[in-house]
Amino acid sequence: MSSWVHLLSLDLAVVGLAALVMLLDALASLRGRTIGALVVAGLVGVLIASFQIDVTGTTPHGAYVSDAWVLFFKRIFLCAAILGVLGSIEWLDRHAPKRQAEYYALLLFSLVGMLLLPGARDWVLLVVAFELMGVPLYVLAAYAKNDTTPGEPKLAAEAALKLFVTGAASSAFTFFGLALLVGLSGSTSIAQGAQMSPLATVGLMLVIAGFGFKLGAVPFHFWVPDTYQGAPTPFVAFLSVAPKAGGLAALSVILMSTGWVGAKELWAPAIVVISIASMAVGNLFALPQTDARRLLGFSGIAQIGYVLIALAAATEQGLAMALFFIAAYVFTNLGLFLVVHAAAQDMGGHGIAEMSGLSRRSPWLGGALLVFLLSLAGIPFVIGFWAKLFVFLEAYRAGLVVPVIVGIVLAVVGLFYYLSVARQTFMAEGKSDEKIHAGAPLSAAIAVCLLAVVVLGLWPGPLVESANAAAAAFLGGR
Amino acid sequence: MNHWLSLIVAAPAVAAALLLVLKNEQKLAIRLVSLVGATVSLVGSLVVAAQYDRALGGFQMLESFPLVPSYGIHLKLAVDGWGVALLLLTGIIIVTGVLASWSVPKRDKEFFLLLLVLVAGVFGVFVAQDLFVFFLFYEIAVLPMYLLIGIWGASHDVKAAGPFKYVWKRFAVGGKEYAAMKLTLMLLVGSAAVLVGMLILWNGSGARTFDMQVLENATFSRTAQMWAFPLFWLGFGSLAGVFPFHTWSPDGHASAPTAVSMLHAGVLMKLGAFGVMRIGMVLVPDAAEVWAPLVGTVAVINVLYGAFCAASQTDLKYIVAYSSVSHMGVVMLGAATLTPNGWNGAVYQMVAHGIMTGLFFALVGLVYERAHTRAIAKMGGFAHPMPAVAAFFTLACLSSLGLPGTAGFVAEFLVFVGAAQSEHWWWTIPGVLGAFVTAVYVLRACKSIFWGPAPKGEYAHLQDAQRTEWAAPLVLGSALVLFGFWPRFLLDSIDGASATFLSRVVTVASAPDMETNK
Repeated sequence: MSSWVHLLSLDLAVVGLAALVMLLDALASLRGRTIGALVVAGLVGVLIASFQIDVTGTTPHGAYVSDAWVLFFKRIFLCAAILGVLGSIEWLDRHAPKRQAEYYALLLFSLVGMLLLPGARDWVLLVVAFELMGVPLYVLAAYAKNDTTPGEPKLAAEAALKLFVTGAASSAFTFFGLALLVGLSGSTSIAQGAQMSPLATVGLMLVIAGFGFKLGAVPFHFWVPDTYQGAPTPFVAFLSVAPKAGGLAALSVILMSTGWVGAKELWAPAIVVISIASMAVGNLFALPQTDARRLLGFSGIAQIGYVLIALAAATEQGLAMALFFIAAYVFTNLGLFLVVHAAAQDMGGHGIAEMSGLSRRSPWLGGALLVFLLSLAGIPFVIGFWAKLFVFLEAYRAGLVVPVIVGIVLAVVGLFYYLSVARQTFMAEGKSDEKIHAGAPLSAAIAVCLLAVVVLGLWPGPLVESANAAAAAFLGGR
Repeated sequence: MNHWLSLIVAAPAVAAALLLVLKNEQKLAIRLVSLVGATVSLVGSLVVAAQYDRALGGFQMLESFPLVPSYGIHLKLAVDGWGVALLLLTGIIIVTGVLASWSVPKRDKEFFLLLLVLVAGVFGVFVAQDLFVFFLFYEIAVLPMYLLIGIWGASHDVKAAGPFKYVWKRFAVGGKEYAAMKLTLMLLVGSAAVLVGMLILWNGSGARTFDMQVLENATFSRTAQMWAFPLFWLGFGSLAGVFPFHTWSPDGHASAPTAVSMLHAGVLMKLGAFGVMRIGMVLVPDAAEVWAPLVGTVAVINVLYGAFCAASQTDLKYIVAYSSVSHMGVVMLGAATLTPNGWNGAVYQMVAHGIMTGLFFALVGLVYERAHTRAIAKMGGFAHPMPAVAAFFTLACLSSLGLPGTAGFVAEFLVFVGAAQSEHWWWTIPGVLGAFVTAVYVLRACKSIFWGPAPKGEYAHLQDAQRTEWAAPLVLGSALVLFGFWPRFLLDSIDGASATFLSRVVTVASAPDMETNK
């Protein structure tokens, strides 16, 4: 037993941290920002440990594998959680001072689910991890139930309900599909695969649909804008990136496994269709949005479309560049949501119109916003550009010319609405010239994202290499 | 190994970074930092022009740093004969541009910051030897324009048309924002086409590299070439104002603040033409030969259409903007001839037109700041209160119509000789006709603004150029004359590069048989 427990040491450490947070809350009744600081410190410790200790190996019967692929994802999830917690500290302290520990504990439990996902090689473990990731998010989405920005409707209950109902439905799809697949293959091992038959096709499509919900890909995207608008913004910053990376991990673990990669003639076209639809719907529906969070919701749908092109390439490099893309997306989108959060606190709302004059009231927030927008739009010298480019390169090499051209054309449409936000913050006159003061933890989180986006944008080499290594490890060890 | 090239590219970027720590109130410091950054680049360009070994030719001063090794992307800089000329042009324009924007009215720090970032991108394009890095710098050069026009531009009546009506509805706040968005979107569609073209080359070479010298020696399948060339032509061409993708240019240039118009019409449009020649024609030579008749014919349309449009404008800035469309047609015409003279003329026209149009926009800006109008009907006799401005404006007009002794003449003459020597000799006729129409509209504009009886009323006490405002007219004006009388200074290096590149495109004896003006 002890021979494989160390594979899960990082995951167990996070479980321990979550338990500690709840215990401390019950026994020591900590107030203020202490718990948040503790959680951040703990997660940073785990992140550092992921570089220091060796956690590679395979459990008996191969249900769980830990390698460079898993570590790549774990580090992404940990970064997202650290930044998400940093961004939430002040908001929680101000708006829900007595319910802080639950928030962090739920977030950490969701994180544990994510950490387990990329290493799962067994349907049961995969689904359990996926549900563990998803269920706490429903609760967190409703966290601002009694509290909104003045002048904006209370949408938290709706946000949470939409997330929950679609999430539950997606689980139902997944389970039904799995029942078919496991029944056909006679094994719960993902690598086992199944003889392709109409029934297996139905099963596989149902599973893809189930995971597609969490990714927010079209046609499973309806919850995205509503949930983003209603849930607390610092939580949405986390929700908009980490579960998407989780969904990508789960989809890749299934589709690229030895059992199913042979059926890529079957699933690759389905992924291509989903990706084109996501890019089209996301980019076009973002155009008329007036609320920054809804706009980012649709933009997120579009971004997922770009990732899926790389996955549809079904090659090692394609997979690697999907990882690169999602890493870029994590830092960019998290940072962007946190800036919107910081601005909305002082500017009286999340509407794009409310953002006017941001660059004058806080040049650094305005500048950060611009950099993140440019990164999402795919403009050179920020990381998002490389992400889009590599995805297009690999998809093109795999012969997916149509989605690449559609993607490039829609990227220009994307530029239009990203710039329209930039225009509002830089060119429109604001209502006041009062300075905006984002608190230290929030500013730190934004600064880290900004640094990652710019530094990796100038020199993406190392991240590309580690994404390549991750994909190679996964495909080599599957 | 020396690092002049990275210095040239880095100096504006470093200056921009320095600006970040300054406060908006430190107006003089902001300007001085910008000026120093720009001047270092200009000095660097002069040193490069002096050190470049014309006898040896080819690529010199190579610097390389691996950026993304697994995709074969290297930050590889080197300069060739064209690069020498265009670096010098950019250096001259940015220094005079910074001086011409000394009186920028608001948010000084951001203005100079964006201007410097933009020019760093321009320098980068001219020395990049990696297709990918080329594209990176190209985008850097194109994008700051959105904010530069949108924030500091001048609003005026712009008629929204076509698909841009939607944009207009969303942004019906001022003409400048419409113009900025139109410009950005059109150029970005162009970039998207270029990106697809790059993917075709990257995939087609099979070498997993973006190194332009490797790609030059790779042989691409005919199908790949036939697809790639039009993508590069229209993609880069949209920035060069190729008809019918030129419509961003008049609105954009007319709305932009002075220094931005100078830089955009003076240098940025050249990036487009440079891209068509350096990437489109040199990397996919077979397709270039097939497509050349269309490229040349469209260029001829550009020349004539631009000239006639300019002739019918009443707004001074629109006249200059349409004249740019017309003159860029001359560049593309020279490129399409696929002859040594045509190519030398095309590159020389880039330099000549860059300096001339920079001078135009600087002077138009001066006039506008004082008279607060750009409608030529309201002006007249401005030579009395502002003689120096009038003199330099007239000089620019003369170069524009191709008067011998100015840089414009050398360029246009070479292009027309090239056209006559090409397989499509008839291109010469509309080309020369365009030059004639140019003479009509520039002289008419010049006459009705500056000459005639002295103005009365509000225009009676217009000031002539003051302090830093002298820089642009003096430097650009003398450059126009210098390059007009001593074309060899640049032509020697340009010719070396043209001959090398052209030998890849067509198998002709590359010895130029016209030794004009040397």
